[in-house]
Amino acid sequence: MASQGLRALSAPRTRIRFRQYLELLARYLRPQVGLVAAVAVLLFSGIGLQLLGPQIVRYFIDEALAGSPVSRLFGAAALFSVVAVAQQVVNVLATYASGRVGWAATNALRADLASHCLSLDMPFHNHRTPGEMIERIDGDANELGGFFSTFVISLMGNAVLLVGILALLFREDWRAGVAMTAFSAVMLAVLASMRHLSVGHSKAERDASTEAFGFIEERLAGREDIWAIGGKPHVDRRFWELMRTWFKADLTVGLMTAIVFNTNTFMFRAGSAIALAVGAYLFLNDLATIGAVYLIFHYTSLLGAPVQSMTRQLTALQRATASLFRITELFEERKTVLDGTRATAFAEPSVRFEGVSFGYKAAEPVLRDVTFEIRPGRVLGVVGRTGSGKTTLARLLARLYDPDEGRILLGGSDIRDFRAADLRERVATVTQDVGLFHGTLRDNLTLYDRSAGDDRLLEVLDLLGFMGWYRTQPDGLDTRLSSGGTGMSAGEAQLLALSRVFLKDPAVVVLDEPTSRLDRATETLVDRALDELASGRTVVLIAHHLATVERCDDILVLEDGRVVEMGERERLAADPGSRFHELLRTGVDGETP
Amino acid sequence: MKTWWFVWRMFVFRKWTFTLQIGSAIVSMVAIEHAVGLAQREIFDTLTGDGGAFLGVWALCAVLVGLGLGHSVAFIGDELLFRFNRFTLSTLLQRNAFDRVLGLGGASSLPASPGEAVSRFRGDVRQTIMPMMDVDLLVANFLFFVIAMAIMASINAFAAFAVFLPLFAAVVIVHSARGQIRQYREDAREAAGGVTGVIGEIFGMVETVKASNAEERVLEEFERVNRERGRTSLKDEVLGQAMEAFSSNAHHVATGLLLALLARSMVAGDLTVGDLSLFVFYLGNSRAFSREIGKLLTDYRRIGVSTRRLLDLMPGSPPEALVEPTPSHLSGPLPGVPAPERRHEERLRTLEVDGLTYVSHERDAGVRDVSFTMRRGDLVVVAGRVGSGKTTLLRALVGWLPPKAGSVRWNGSEIGDAQHFMTPPSCAYLPQVPRLFSETLRDNILMGLPEDSVDLAGSVRLAVLERDVETLEDGLDTMVGPRGVRLSGGQRRRAGAARVFVREPELLLLDDVSNGLDVETERVFWERLSERDDVTALVASNRRMALERADHVVLLKDGRVESQGTLAVLLETSAEMRRLWAGDTGSEDGGEAEAG
Repeated sequence: MASQGLRALSAPRTRIRFRQYLELLARYLRPQVGLVAAVAVLLFSGIGLQLLGPQIVRYFIDEALAGSPVSRLFGAAALFSVVAVAQQVVNVLATYASGRVGWAATNALRADLASHCLSLDMPFHNHRTPGEMIERIDGDANELGGFFSTFVISLMGNAVLLVGILALLFREDWRAGVAMTAFSAVMLAVLASMRHLSVGHSKAERDASTEAFGFIEERLAGREDIWAIGGKPHVDRRFWELMRTWFKADLTVGLMTAIVFNTNTFMFRAGSAIALAVGAYLFLNDLATIGAVYLIFHYTSLLGAPVQSMTRQLTALQRATASLFRITELFEERKTVLDGTRATAFAEPSVRFEGVSFGYKAAEPVLRDVTFEIRPGRVLGVVGRTGSGKTTLARLLARLYDPDEGRILLGGSDIRDFRAADLRERVATVTQDVGLFHGTLRDNLTLYDRSAGDDRLLEVLDLLGFMGWYRTQPDGLDTRLSSGGTGMSAGEAQLLALSRVFLKDPAVVVLDEPTSRLDRATETLVDRALDELASGRTVVLIAHHLATVERCDDILVLEDGRVVEMGERERLAADPGSRFHELLRTGVDGETP
Repeated sequence: MKTWWFVWRMFVFRKWTFTLQIGSAIVSMVAIEHAVGLAQREIFDTLTGDGGAFLGVWALCAVLVGLGLGHSVAFIGDELLFRFNRFTLSTLLQRNAFDRVLGLGGASSLPASPGEAVSRFRGDVRQTIMPMMDVDLLVANFLFFVIAMAIMASINAFAAFAVFLPLFAAVVIVHSARGQIRQYREDAREAAGGVTGVIGEIFGMVETVKASNAEERVLEEFERVNRERGRTSLKDEVLGQAMEAFSSNAHHVATGLLLALLARSMVAGDLTVGDLSLFVFYLGNSRAFSREIGKLLTDYRRIGVSTRRLLDLMPGSPPEALVEPTPSHLSGPLPGVPAPERRHEERLRTLEVDGLTYVSHERDAGVRDVSFTMRRGDLVVVAGRVGSGKTTLLRALVGWLPPKAGSVRWNGSEIGDAQHFMTPPSCAYLPQVPRLFSETLRDNILMGLPEDSVDLAGSVRLAVLERDVETLEDGLDTMVGPRGVRLSGGQRRRAGAARVFVREPELLLLDDVSNGLDVETERVFWERLSERDDVTALVASNRRMALERADHVVLLKDGRVESQGTLAVLLETSAEMRRLWAGDTGSEDGGEAEAG
């Protein structure tokens, strides 16, 4: 009963997995049918050449023992060399062709994975380190690379080689054929039964390595902080903790692999002994020449190669299966922010929140029943304590998340109806975190948008008072920035991020703490540029400095995710009973004029 | 740095287990294999009536089965030793590189994005140790070959030595292609680093990418680096296969040659079928030897490429540092986290900065001739516009930027190694944008400090984080996500501050700590900090709340001290100070000439 239960559990998984392999192959190999066919032709030619070799040796032995002329033996020896060289040429060509198939297929897979992951919602990303994403997109695709480039075709090739050898053995003598077929069947059966031996261990090993490299990546990125607070011993300890988990998993996988591999090696050796015994029997009963005995022996040793290589492929398949699991897992992640179908067409860029509630986790509402409206062309300043939900407001408007309740209207339509890409083209957001990457200044400004001209870029830099910094860059727009903006001050990075919005022509602009890292002098300059940006656009300005909100038309005060006040800035400022007035007053620090 | 030296150091590090690994390979691949070859010859010779038939065909077949079993068992041991050696060696290199990179603190930027650096930790470490790992096969194959040559020579000396020629030719060809091999490998690894780098960056700034609607464009960039990698890797793989083909061709040609050479002896009956089977058996196995040599020569070249890429990560470290035999903690107790020791004579009384000058090579930034003094309990604020050198000054003080001139004195004596001295418990530095890690908030703040010996609650309060902790679902045990993404920007900054405060350093260096906080929080922050007269802090900030509470203000302009003193005095005497205070840029940007 118990074993039946186990079987019921494991059987469907196996079936699904097999279908998944086929789907994966069909999806990524179909675009390259021609090349795949070439690989197949090359592999089969190689097999033909391989089967020819032993026949030549057999001919050689029998002719030699029969005392044939030496020239005939020389001919056989020469032919043997030619066949061998031809086989190697075919192998190199096959490597090239299957490599091309493999790289094209895995690159397509990588692109699909990256695209899929990128399309997933923020909650997905909030749980995963970039190091983990590297492992899951590149690491797993690498594992599958071997599967694509060699596995299927070479598995087929090995099967054909196996059948070819057995057929040639039958041609020699039916008893040799029967013995070796039975032997191959036993070997394959043992092999198949060992197939799943290390799948679970492989997955554990890959997970452990993913975690270790994720850890290393994050700590490398944060090495300044670690040093500055003397946190290195702690990080070192954690490093060893992760490494020893991985170590155990690696040794376990090693043991499993070694058992599978050596069982097959042993069987192959036993097979050679059987071949010799069968040959000896045939020879002693005058059923075969000594050349034929050698041929049977030689073919059996060739039998080992495809079976061993199938074993190796099965090990690779085990790793690939572990990766396929993880990739499938990834592909099965669904986004909840579903794309709309409409283009963002609207007469006027008014923004309206209607009863919006939202929390990153169900139990923790960040926004509660938020309702307000910004008329087209107005500038709304959002103020409130850290954690009051200001940034969340911005994220919802860019549809990085969808509200749990209520809706957000842009130009009178629910933003969920719009295509997200269209929406984000019309609603430009500058996030708090400045994303800078290892690339040219130009690419960092345009985020790879090649349509933006250099003149326009410089114009924007000038507008933001950024030219002084720009002139110090050795290669102008082609200067390569380092990842995370090392070598730039936080203020400079923020100016760069701000420049990105100016390169677009959005209807709504959402600025999340746009000037938090600028000093007052630079901030004033930027504010002027913002004035220009604001003209004819609806602007949401999330601000901490009351000075920043001075150029807002309206003010929204958030407290614990609720709107506690909303109105024209001047009216609120003048009303001594308003929350905004109180903020202005308690804001002290000379923020009030 | 010679590659052989690296290999030798790595071997010495694991000398016993490597010796065992080689030993088990010799048992399985030399002793047992030779027995197999001889038994097979005996079977053929018995059949043709040339042999002594000392065991009989059937018994010999049984012996072959037994030898197969012995081979497999020895090989399992070899595999486990292989894994053990490979893992412990990889970890040694990774640990050493990791240690050095972390040890640089902010003294040097990584030559690659963290994502690309990870590809070096993964791929280049592998490349470096792989040739080492096959050393057992090399030794065993070599021994096998020597014995085989001796036996062959005793049967037919001429044929035995003729076999050398193709083998030698193959090794020469592979060796002569080494430059090309190295170049292709370097290109391929470079391109692979590009791919992981781009993934790391896309997902490191995913919110920006999404909000900027740049998904498709970054994906195009991703596909571009992928194609580049596919192209370079394919070249590498094909060249590798071509080299492999050369080695195995050499042996097929050798077999053909052997058949031709032995033809006469066979016809004459001087050579038995058993001898021929033995020759072919030896040739087949020696093929592995030449393949190993070829592979070793190729891989050996690749070590140079990969070690260089690893050493690039650790500027300033000697090459030895990479293979330095540091203790492994893969088993046994984990390394402890020593509590920082506070020595009485190091308690800060005064900090004197005298003529400190740092000039950057690359950019126009730097600080020149900065002098000021602070005493225990002081709050000193460094003010100045963007680019005036505030952060540079702080980073020079923690020893990350090598000063060109000037000195920093702690209680009157000059600080020698600032990079190491200016860490807790003496000093702690909070960068402008603190980095959190994917752990709990508590672990992020404590970073290994024992919770019962520090004032965690007090530090959280001092950082004005206590209300946030209350609202978080799991309080201090909330997982903050990769790089702290599940906290808001302001919360991350204050968590960073709490992490610094909990260490109760003698001197706090805070870069722009209150920026991005709302007015309310910011006021509480400064209030609480200035209430504590045991706190000595140097703060880079232009915030009024900070300036008002400062005991002393150092005003920087274009990297020099424009003026310093109390806020009241500076407001009176310095136009620059008044501008910063009022938030006025005055007459356009930096270049204006002003007297004084």
